[in-house]
Amino acid sequence: MDWLRFGRRPIITTALVAAAVVVAVVTTSTVRDGVAVSIALAVAIAGVATLTSKGIRATHPALARAALTVTAVDVALFATYFFSATTNFNLAIGAAMSIVLLGLSFLTGASGQISLGNGAFMGVGALIMAIWANHHATTPIAITLLIAVVGGAFVGLLLGLPATRLRGPYLAGMTLAFAVAFTGIVNTFSSWTGGDAGLQLPSAAPAPHWLVSFFSAQTSLFTTGTMWLTDITIVVTGVAFFFMANLFASRTGRAMRLIRDNDVAAELVGVSLPRARVIAFIVSSAYAALGGALWTLINNSVSPPTYSFALSVTILSLIVIGGIGTIPGALIGGLIYAYSTNVISWITTQTGLNPQGNFASQLNGIIFGGLLIVTMLFAPMGIAGAVRRLWVHRRTKTALE
Amino acid sequence: MDPFLTSRIVSDILGGLTNGVIYGLVALSLVLIWRSTGILNFAQGAMPMIATYIGMVVFAHEFSYWPCVAISLVVGFAIGGGTERLLVRHLYGKPEINPIVVMVGFLIVLEGVAAAVWSTEPRGIVNPFSPIDFQLGGKPIAMSAFSLYEVITAMVVMTLVAVLFRYTKLGLQLRASALAPEVSRLLGVRVSRMLTLGWVLSMGVGTITTILVASNFFTGLTPQVMDGIFAFGFIAAAVGGLDSPVGAIISGICIGIILQFVGDFLNSNYIILVALGILIVSLMVRPNGLFTKSSVRRV
Repeated sequence: MDWLRFGRRPIITTALVAAAVVVAVVTTSTVRDGVAVSIALAVAIAGVATLTSKGIRATHPALARAALTVTAVDVALFATYFFSATTNFNLAIGAAMSIVLLGLSFLTGASGQISLGNGAFMGVGALIMAIWANHHATTPIAITLLIAVVGGAFVGLLLGLPATRLRGPYLAGMTLAFAVAFTGIVNTFSSWTGGDAGLQLPSAAPAPHWLVSFFSAQTSLFTTGTMWLTDITIVVTGVAFFFMANLFASRTGRAMRLIRDNDVAAELVGVSLPRARVIAFIVSSAYAALGGALWTLINNSVSPPTYSFALSVTILSLIVIGGIGTIPGALIGGLIYAYSTNVISWITTQTGLNPQGNFASQLNGIIFGGLLIVTMLFAPMGIAGAVRRLWVHRRTKTALE
Repeated sequence: MDPFLTSRIVSDILGGLTNGVIYGLVALSLVLIWRSTGILNFAQGAMPMIATYIGMVVFAHEFSYWPCVAISLVVGFAIGGGTERLLVRHLYGKPEINPIVVMVGFLIVLEGVAAAVWSTEPRGIVNPFSPIDFQLGGKPIAMSAFSLYEVITAMVVMTLVAVLFRYTKLGLQLRASALAPEVSRLLGVRVSRMLTLGWVLSMGVGTITTILVASNFFTGLTPQVMDGIFAFGFIAAAVGGLDSPVGAIISGICIGIILQFVGDFLNSNYIILVALGILIVSLMVRPNGLFTKSSVRRV
């Protein structure tokens, strides 16, 4: 497959870009669409070219990760133009969820701890987003999202302080207590949070001006007025994944993995256990808050009962099924979440269950709980781990032959 | 006329005691499993919940209260033993998040199954004790026949567990196999049987607790009836130290009383916040609990 490595063949790359522009011009009807398609294709080609150039993953790992992120985000953004509004909504919800899953995956993968309260941390971010937007409607979305992330990190710090000295079950139990308490806490401050009824965003969040002027709503590509929300979510997800991939590979990330595998050895080589544990916990809460804030943005409102203990358990199930401690696992889990409702209602209709019946309404919990147990017993690294093992197995076999 | 017994402070202490013994019992059942198998059982509320549904709802038409209690207990023992043998046995020696994840999965499966079979409607359990507070000179004392029944049953259960562990041969074997499984095995203790027995015992305590909670006229039995109580029970166990049965009971009762004061003098919304605060502060001060003798783990 050497011809695919066009990173070393600039002529082929240039020819492909030119062909892409021609395709764009031929297939699209307006100038704006043509420009959009050309840009998307050019970015994708440039990204793949960087990714496949020889040795780049060894010499410039960060650049390779950036190229991978940019390509994936570019393709996903391009795809949203062709999806229906429902699909885009599901995709956005799933993408935001994958950010939350990534945070939990990092916590476990990097420090061997586990949190049962990430649903509540999502709720923290979701509420901060709504409260801020209600008081300062003019703040740009990016800033509001950052405020929600900082708020989530701060709550994570408060709860994580004892985590410096805790071992597994204590932290899990403490976060469980937080998850169970969250709805009560929201009601305690109901003058801010709106209690169980929650909050609405002041108006349907308007698309940023420059975005509208670039992809005008009149063009055929811009199918719905809310598609930009999906696009923003995808971009934010890309940034979050890129940042996390670098963190995993950084000095801090390596130190944390050492703690997970052998905390005594980690201390002996000079890693500060308490610091690393608290940082891992804070990062995981901040990511959860970011996911929750995006949910508020996508739904245009926040309903605190959503962020119950059940959601925390769903989050745990998704990342365990996807592959806890891995980065692809978070993406897999997010995709599963985006389509879980559809799959479960499909199962309900296929098996002829009464959709309003007791059993159908509990199917979600039973299936996720069962998968949680089965995965943990038989494939503790989830789908991502199983795929990776198959891959490594095949490669060693070919190497031996 | 004794104004002291009907005063606000005494009422709070009595009401807090009634809640506190329940938290203490949940904490005790967690400690029993933690000490014998080193697992924090997140399904500690859900497993006895199933036993209570089977005993107190399925058989409610055929039998009166006490036979139903007996049936629930037997089912509870069976669930405890069966779970240890079939599910938990595969988790020994695995990284510490594996049992946590599996037990959380078990928790939601059980709650889902219970809600699927019996719906989420609260089921009242008819019991022989009146929920109406005793009267003294026209004023209520915060103690009814039912809460007296709760407190006394809890005390009896705690005493039985203490006697079993301290004064019987079986208790000695249980303690020995938790503390030094290798040595105990060499000395002829059936260690694996003792691990199962730890779960069976804990489920016995759990089933009695759930029956007490669900028999309450104001609560009834729902699939998620133990979720909140489990959280308080865990807080009690963590504050007291997961290794210490006495600590679990004492801190359970103390937390019950403190929270009753919080609910009465501040606002009932603050109860869970204060409970979380107590947990966080006590874990920061004594990460292994207030009542455990400190043991050094790291170099």
